[in-house]
Amino acid sequence: MAQGNLKVIGELLAKHGILVAFIIFMIVFTVLNPRFITSDNVLGVVRSSAILGVMAIGVTFVVVSGNLDLSVGSMMSFSTIVVLDLHDKIGPILGIPVMFAMTMALGALIGFLVGYLKLNSLIVTLGMLSAIHGLTLTYSGGKNMDIADKDGTWFSIFGQGEILGLPVPILLFALLAAGLTLLLSKTPFGRKVYAVGGNGVAATFSGIPRARIVFYCYLISSFCVAVAGLIQASRSLGSQNTVGQGLELEVLAAVILGGASLLGGSGTIFKTVIGVLILGFIQNGLLLIGLEFYVQYIVTWVIIILAVWLDIAAKRGQLWSPIA
Amino acid sequence: MNLKKTLVVSTALATFAMAGAASAADFTIGITQNNVGVDSYQTTYEKAFIAAAEANDKVDAVVLDAGGDVARQIAQMEDLIQQKVDAIIIWPTNGQAVIPAVRKAFGAGIPVIVTNSNIAAEGAEFIASFSGPDNITQGSRSAEIMCDKFKEMGIEDEAQIVQISGQPGYTTAIERAAGFEDRLPEVCPNVTLMETQPGDWNREKSQQVMEAFLVKYDDIDGVYSGDDNMGVGALNAAKAADRADDIIFVGATNFAVGYEAMERGEYWGSIYQSPVDDAEAALKTAIDVLEGKDVPLLNYFDTPKITQDNMSEFDKPVF
Repeated sequence: MAQGNLKVIGELLAKHGILVAFIIFMIVFTVLNPRFITSDNVLGVVRSSAILGVMAIGVTFVVVSGNLDLSVGSMMSFSTIVVLDLHDKIGPILGIPVMFAMTMALGALIGFLVGYLKLNSLIVTLGMLSAIHGLTLTYSGGKNMDIADKDGTWFSIFGQGEILGLPVPILLFALLAAGLTLLLSKTPFGRKVYAVGGNGVAATFSGIPRARIVFYCYLISSFCVAVAGLIQASRSLGSQNTVGQGLELEVLAAVILGGASLLGGSGTIFKTVIGVLILGFIQNGLLLIGLEFYVQYIVTWVIIILAVWLDIAAKRGQLWSPIA
Repeated sequence: MNLKKTLVVSTALATFAMAGAASAADFTIGITQNNVGVDSYQTTYEKAFIAAAEANDKVDAVVLDAGGDVARQIAQMEDLIQQKVDAIIIWPTNGQAVIPAVRKAFGAGIPVIVTNSNIAAEGAEFIASFSGPDNITQGSRSAEIMCDKFKEMGIEDEAQIVQISGQPGYTTAIERAAGFEDRLPEVCPNVTLMETQPGDWNREKSQQVMEAFLVKYDDIDGVYSGDDNMGVGALNAAKAADRADDIIFVGATNFAVGYEAMERGEYWGSIYQSPVDDAEAALKTAIDVLEGKDVPLLNYFDTPKITQDNMSEFDKPVF
């Protein structure tokens, strides 16, 4: 390709690099297997991505505020197991709010440790990753949790229901994404989150209560985890203790893929959603192509690197930019 | 969790010390388990093992759990060697990494019995016996269950199936898939296995894999899953797509959820593997070795076929 063409493409990419990368992947997968783009498949992928997506938009707040959250996978297992258990013990109407309260108490604890005690968020949430896993196992006694009467409960609506032809998990994901986009980009609170993550010292001098902002970010993150746990529990009406294991890394990958900086201060909900969809469609696309599964691990990684490269190249306006 | 485990371990050691001084038991047998609490199978196994050991006057048991941690399991092996127990039962956290510790026990003259999942082949000369399920046979039995059902339905010459296997690289997953893939063409040569993808022993992952299969293939007559947990995930996906009635689901390791789905007539069959049998077989193998009986190197306990037709002969699994 000629140098001039590259430049044109570069300028096009500059605005929405990750979106363009996403569209390219969609086209490639569709060419390789036309069934990829059928509405059934697309809806299916978005529905299964909803769980990861709901968690990722919550974690976006934490990352924008300049911190990390590695505990969301364990926390999701916790909320799933708890709500399944409470469903049979005290009924879903009481069980769901109690589960939200318990999950958000964990978020509050993390927010307190990171915000008010100023402990390193990596260490705190890495510790919570295994502590919450232990808590879940202690709670369940290591047993799988299953709803006894699977056909007679309305609880399945959150994971399996449809409203106006759209699966409920997608609606929950979309509602939450829209609401949190407003919160992050249109409110004073949202601007404070960017300020705290972008330059904490300057934020303090501007009179922004950093500890409280960080605390709220973890609270929002744990709220999203509780929603994810609700969808997960409702979708399969039963669960292992390890259901969320490893999701924390996929969530972080989606957030970073969306262009949020690990150093804080940048990132948007919309781009995180694109990051989530890229991960979801890669997994699904590779399955539809029928690639040997050991190879899938490698190809997934190659595609992610490619996407990040396209995004970075777009921002810099050039494809080749060695560390000088 | 760690604190709790430590307490359990130290209590177990204290009990052992006292028991060693006062008890009249013939043998002291130590066991280091993989990861109790991670799933119901392992939790039930531990309870059954302790119950079996308590019921047997000949045996004192030192029950340890590695919590899934290789380093901790090796340290537990060293402890048991130091304590000069009569035999060690190990549920390997990793089939390769524990071999040096097994070898050390062998060198100290303590017979080692591997339970549930075998260690890698190069460790075979250091163990007295392996007690556990035969995963290759399980795979071939699943193939027979599926083939018999297809014959009953009269579609054994055109049926097309997909497979959802366990975690890649995991011996149980590899062996079950191999057993299934080898046996199927022998009993049903015209059934096509269209594709295999891993469900990682995870119900949700398996559900996603099945969703993709349903999009990709218009005609699926059967699904073989490496365990019932994944099988139920696949069933859920098929039910959501209104295609469950056309598909025969066969799994392995009958879980309670699989048993229930069989009761509802949605899931055809599986392999019945009881953690209680598993634990009791391990203890019995250890005692047989200590009593000088002739024990085969691979001492399998039976894991029978279970289908909707004969499920009334089996208790519902507790896990």
